[in-house]
Amino acid sequence: MTLDLSATPEEVMRAVEALQQFGQAKQVPEKVLFGLALALEECGSNIVNHALQRDPHRKFRVAFEHTGDAVTIELRDPGPEFDPAAAPAVAAAADHDDRSPGGWGIQLVRRYMDDICYRREAGQNVLRLTKHLTPTKAQK
Amino acid sequence: MPLEIQIQKALSPQNAGAVTVKLTGSLDTATAPELERQLAPVLAGPVKDLVFDLAQLKFISSAGLRVFSTARKQLKERGGQASFIHMQPQIQEVFEIIKALPGVAIFKDMAELDRYLAARQRSHQENQ
Repeated sequence: MTLDLSATPEEVMRAVEALQQFGQAKQVPEKVLFGLALALEECGSNIVNHALQRDPHRKFRVAFEHTGDAVTIELRDPGPEFDPAAAPAVAAAADHDDRSPGGWGIQLVRRYMDDICYRREAGQNVLRLTKHLTPTKAQK
Repeated sequence: MPLEIQIQKALSPQNAGAVTVKLTGSLDTATAPELERQLAPVLAGPVKDLVFDLAQLKFISSAGLRVFSTARKQLKERGGQASFIHMQPQIQEVFEIIKALPGVAIFKDMAELDRYLAARQRSHQENQ
């Protein structure tokens, strides 16, 4: 499933809700789906707030896929090159700078997703998040 | 999912100075700004104890945690406290991952919270 979204917080939540419906239809366990929805919300918010500067005329794309033993979410945006997976982990209990791009967000994505893969392709940031559904891999 | 915000003052005689904020739905990038807007006049007032009732909160993201963190800091500056009650397990897990809210009090039920707030009210009065 693929969605073309405008760079607004409401559109991020439209994608999250679509993912939740998609996940429920595929009978993804609720706890896993919560983590998937949160990871999408955090990555989508970073794209809207930082990459695309909340410009409603700019677009980004979200796609989800269920392969039977994994769910993948792919986010594509035309913003400046930025690899959120390379962002340093924020020190716990530090006073967080609220303007730092996704300090807490990426921490949550790392916790709930099994794989985070970034690449730059044809002027786009492409972020692929994977959550394994089979018990042997999903040990988090 | 939208966010419903209910703000109630002085629920019981034991915690007359406390304000309770009941959240229903989703506290996320789209709804967090509205919570921030509604908390601003509350935090501008004399409140020292803010209780967030999260029984009906189904989803929270870092945007929501930032609003809580700001409220916690403002309350702490005046010797106050942010407390959380009825947190659902998946919400509590998010708090634990981020550890963004050191020193906040988390309670399972109103009886536990009432005892805590009653003790704090006595402490505020003694300090005045």
